[in-house]
Amino acid sequence: MSEALAGIRRSLRLPSLFRRSGGDQRRARIGPSARKTATRVVFLAPALVLVIFLVVYPVLQTVYLSFVTPQGTPTLANYQGVITDPTTVNPAGLPWPPPLGTLIHNALWIAIHLPISLFFGLWLALILRDVKGSSIVKSAIFLGMVTPMIVGGVMLRFLFEEGPGVVPAFFGAVGVPYLDKSWLIYRETALLGLIFGSVWLWTGFSLIVYSAGLTTIPKDYFEAAKIDGTPPHRMFFRITFPLLRPMTLVIITMTLLWELKIFDIVYSAVGSTGGTRNSADVLSLQMYRYFVAGATNPVYYGLAAVVATLLTLLTLVGTAWLFRRMVKS
Amino acid sequence: MLVIIVALLVITNVVTGLAVYYLAVPPRAGESITVIGPWAGSEMAKFLPVLDAFTNQTGIKVSYSIARQEDLKTILPVQFAAHRSPGDVVFMTSSFIKAQGPLGNALDLSTVVDKSAYGARALDPVTGTDGKVYGAVYTGKVKPGFWYRPSFFAAHGLTKPTTWPQFTSLLSDIKNISTITNPIVSGDGVGWPLSDVTEHFIATYGGASMHRNLTAGSQMWTSAPVRAVFANRLVPLLAAGDFSAPLTWDSTAIQGWWSGSYALYFMGSWITGMTPPVDSSDLDVFSLPPAPGVTGGIVFAADYFFIPTYTTKVAAATQLLRYLASAAGQTVQVSQGGHLATVLGVQASAYPTVDRKVAALLTGKDVLVDLDDTKGDPFQSNFWSQLKGLWTSPSPAGDLDSILTAIQSQA
Repeated sequence: MSEALAGIRRSLRLPSLFRRSGGDQRRARIGPSARKTATRVVFLAPALVLVIFLVVYPVLQTVYLSFVTPQGTPTLANYQGVITDPTTVNPAGLPWPPPLGTLIHNALWIAIHLPISLFFGLWLALILRDVKGSSIVKSAIFLGMVTPMIVGGVMLRFLFEEGPGVVPAFFGAVGVPYLDKSWLIYRETALLGLIFGSVWLWTGFSLIVYSAGLTTIPKDYFEAAKIDGTPPHRMFFRITFPLLRPMTLVIITMTLLWELKIFDIVYSAVGSTGGTRNSADVLSLQMYRYFVAGATNPVYYGLAAVVATLLTLLTLVGTAWLFRRMVKS
Repeated sequence: MLVIIVALLVITNVVTGLAVYYLAVPPRAGESITVIGPWAGSEMAKFLPVLDAFTNQTGIKVSYSIARQEDLKTILPVQFAAHRSPGDVVFMTSSFIKAQGPLGNALDLSTVVDKSAYGARALDPVTGTDGKVYGAVYTGKVKPGFWYRPSFFAAHGLTKPTTWPQFTSLLSDIKNISTITNPIVSGDGVGWPLSDVTEHFIATYGGASMHRNLTAGSQMWTSAPVRAVFANRLVPLLAAGDFSAPLTWDSTAIQGWWSGSYALYFMGSWITGMTPPVDSSDLDVFSLPPAPGVTGGIVFAADYFFIPTYTTKVAAATQLLRYLASAAGQTVQVSQGGHLATVLGVQASAYPTVDRKVAALLTGKDVLVDLDDTKGDPFQSNFWSQLKGLWTSPSPAGDLDSILTAIQSQA
């Protein structure tokens, strides 16, 4: 920092901010490391104050709320209430159709949405790699990502609505009447409709990240492999995919976090109830409903805090996993 | 020099903080207040003349902001915690007002609201557990029954039913019409129209007392009499395909109904203010035929409003509240159509013809509060969600018990 300041000072012919004058013995006694620390503290302090008040304090307060009654008495009843609520885990609904519980629904999001959007993004990035004008196609696909998810949810309502919707119309045309209906209204299809619909919105993200990743792989590797007669699928598994590993990690983690915290698209597509008989409900929406109910009964604020705490823990696990993997890479 | 930098940072932070604080405080000068209500589009267009009439009378300017009550349930408690309010007069559900009053977030209006202007117990839904009145009742809407086009009925030789067999026979006749998808259309995928239909079945065949007991929580949804209303009246119609699946959009439902894809539409008296607009001269309504020996009821959903404690314009807000709770203010509103007055003294001549037909349906029936609005969340959202399950179930009779159990779990 001081070197940078000295450089700027020299170029602008400004006097030093920390110049030691011969008569200032007291300042001269301050060592360079102490000055460096002081400078860091001064510049970090405003940001630290903001983070403490706007992030750390609310998080700690939420965790605290999850362990107390509205009167402030310590309790584990909030956790018991959330965990035993069939809205969270509903064994009676297993195996199908939903509601299976928000925790299982979020897990299904991860299990279905993550691999499909990852695969589609990679596949599109590969086939569009050396195609002229592919940037236009990529931009069109990326539009889904740019669209606010609350708008995306409304679009899904149109897409899956019997009559005006493209998806039911398609299945009606190919002779599958069971799927020629409003997907988001029926509990057998609501969750799957949202997951598949979101693939369309989210694929743009993995496409762009993989496309950027592909440009970093030297073409020599492929040419050498070609000369050796390596078949394309082997080139993919031995060269392309391993070298795209850092991108894959980023996509997996970002998608995982999005799926854990998913709220807006579900809220706008099926409403705050999480759809018919909570068939498309997710953890964030459950937390939101508890929070709304808190307006008439403060007990629900504690339950909302429990779900928020659980979500934070799950998200932290995902983030920690990414950091460890990235450091290893 | 370091001291100077620190001092500068401190000063700039303090100045910025103070600037943000003082700029965020609403201006105190001038007589201008904000009303927050749920009405948009044509419904808002019918409410604004009331505010204009108030401004002409008092000189107090009123700006109107639209906010869904579902959203206000999350926004207002947070604002209240910061001792702020986004509006000076706010329309909200009675359950919310009743809960927020004793918490100190709504002004005590016990000496402001003229109780004698209302019918008996009209203010109960906004009276807190401490006995204080925290809100007032604006106009209301009746949920009278099934709307139809007399021209459609005339064209197909259909008549209004007066008995249950006639009603089921009417539905069979409608199903035989070639253009019909389902006899009754179910609007809005959110689920609230389904709760209105269900309440109508309960109030008619379980009686007004059953409706009141369910609202008060003194009767179980899984009890035999309640189950019987569902099993004997509603479920057979659902199983027979007499109701459509809930359509996502209200406008699709209205268009389909008006164009003849559906013949009946269960909706409140605000139907004339919905989009797309319908021709009220070709509009009539009938309630479910009464059951012998049962005192039926009809749901009257009033709009409630209150003054948040944190308003800085108490005098002007109180003046508006008194106006909205007066015969003069409500006369302006009911003359726009779709609303019924809750205060005494509004002349019958103030109502459009179609609303007089609605008012006639109230004769001889107990007036009931809206069940799910009164109970609020988490019951309300769960109720809507479970009813959607009943409507879309491939086997409504088979799923009935689990659905009633799920409804009871949040009651």
